Amino acid sequence: MLDIRSLSRRFGAVTAVDRVTLAVPAGQMVGIIGRSGAGKSTLLRMINRLTEPSEGRIFYAGREVTALSGKALRDWRTDCAMIFQQFNLVQRLDVLTNVLIGRLNHRPGPFGTLSSLFKRFTAAERAMALEALARLDLADQALQRADTLSGGQQQRVAIARAMLQEPKILLADEPIASLDPRNSRVVMDALRMVNRQDGITVLCNLHHLDTARAYCDRIVAMQSGRVVFDGPPEELTPSRVQEIYGVSEEEFEEQAAAEAPLRRAAAAA
Amino acid sequence: MGASAEQIARWRARNPRAFGRPPLERAAFWAAGLLFAAWLLWVFRLFDITPQRIWNGLSGLGTIVVLMIPPSPGELWLDILQGLAESVAMAFLGTFLAAVVAVPLGFLGARNMVLNGLARFSLRRLFDGFRGVDSLIWALAYVRAVGLGPLAGVLAIFTADVAVLAKLYAEAIENAEKKQVEGVTAAGGSRSLAIRFGVLPQVLPVMLAQALYFLESNTRSAAILGVVGAGGIGLQIAERIRVRHWDEVAFIIILMVLTVSLIDWISGRIRRRLIGGAEGRVR
Repeated sequence: MLDIRSLSRRFGAVTAVDRVTLAVPAGQMVGIIGRSGAGKSTLLRMINRLTEPSEGRIFYAGREVTALSGKALRDWRTDCAMIFQQFNLVQRLDVLTNVLIGRLNHRPGPFGTLSSLFKRFTAAERAMALEALARLDLADQALQRADTLSGGQQQRVAIARAMLQEPKILLADEPIASLDPRNSRVVMDALRMVNRQDGITVLCNLHHLDTARAYCDRIVAMQSGRVVFDGPPEELTPSRVQEIYGVSEEEFEEQAAAEAPLRRAAAAA
Repeated sequence: MGASAEQIARWRARNPRAFGRPPLERAAFWAAGLLFAAWLLWVFRLFDITPQRIWNGLSGLGTIVVLMIPPSPGELWLDILQGLAESVAMAFLGTFLAAVVAVPLGFLGARNMVLNGLARFSLRRLFDGFRGVDSLIWALAYVRAVGLGPLAGVLAIFTADVAVLAKLYAEAIENAEKKQVEGVTAAGGSRSLAIRFGVLPQVLPVMLAQALYFLESNTRSAAILGVVGAGGIGLQIAERIRVRHWDEVAFIIILMVLTVSLIDWISGRIRRRLIGGAEGRVR
């Protein structure tokens, strides 16, 4: 059970996430929707502490995540894997090594670190990585460099890397925003597979409402940092969307897609 | 999750390379490593490099450092300042001339420019030849040719750098984006105008940045050139080392470090200002 209590994050004068309270039971697949700038990414990044919250607390299984530091924080990050819009693979490393990166925090002690620095992974770890790649239909690409793969394949490699962390939660930050419709389906199917077969809780930022409805058990809608809807997909009807966002569903998705590059430019500045 | 022994065996059979290099390749890798280690040891023996000699050398160095404290300008401090100014001037003149002459040479050497293949190939090899000779060697030659003094130093820096800069410029020109040139050509621009408006604005900042880096490094080399009589502060240092006036040597070294960091700082500021700016204003 992931328990988020009144979590806020401010960037200067802007409140990106505004007192969000959310309880996610284990094994749920949650879709978080909203226009870009609604605070979806910041919320996910605060859960695995890539971004520090300004206020509020996060608990997981009775432990306060927001109080962790050092080794305990790294262990938590291993427990809640993250996949990114731009995949965040190491382009010049081969696929297998990228996937094995998911194992790094499972190799304890100075000897573990030393053998990691020399890329000495055991046969068991390699077999495990190949197994994960095979599940995502990528076993034949294991020895190719990551940058030779298509976007959809790279995102599946990122999922395989996440699987090797043996996480309890998978955070997916706009996993299909850079992909075409066919690859989007493949990646979303993969996310649902790890959710159903491995019982991993999935929190997924999306801006396509239909995708969220098709794949998620529960939808959380955000608007300027606040949660404005939280319920099963059936309840998020087109009229409800109109009511929440003041625009039709098509207009909402258009805005979500169009604003994305602008926000990145603003974030870089 | 984890992988069972049976899974490992299955994957190893299906994709052996995922479990490391094949034995033959691994043996070759180790053999090459051992060969290199053996060569290193042999060279150490050949040059008589032993921990003992290094240790003794360090203590000798320590004595020199002690003699350097406190640094002193000595009686001829005006000569020192003059030598330093001469070195900076030599570095600037040599680099400036090299940077200017290298621009046309860079265009001639670039693959995407007009010159035919054979001429370009010979020009490139000529650059390579000039690059193979250090400025100190050129200085020795020029001292014999034009006599002692800064002229030999300026010529040495110029000759050593013009070829390197031309090569770097040529590479920058080759990496220039074609689309921008096409834009000028599509507007009816001739070949030379396409280069002027399509290529030059792209490569000029790169060229300038490289020339400024060379100026920094040449301020250091210009200090050495004096040792062989090609003008500048080097002569002052060499003379003082010969008569073991280490305190004055230390003083000169401190001045040189200050000068080089000053030039570093100034050129850094120029780079940031000019490279950020637009060349495109219509005058």
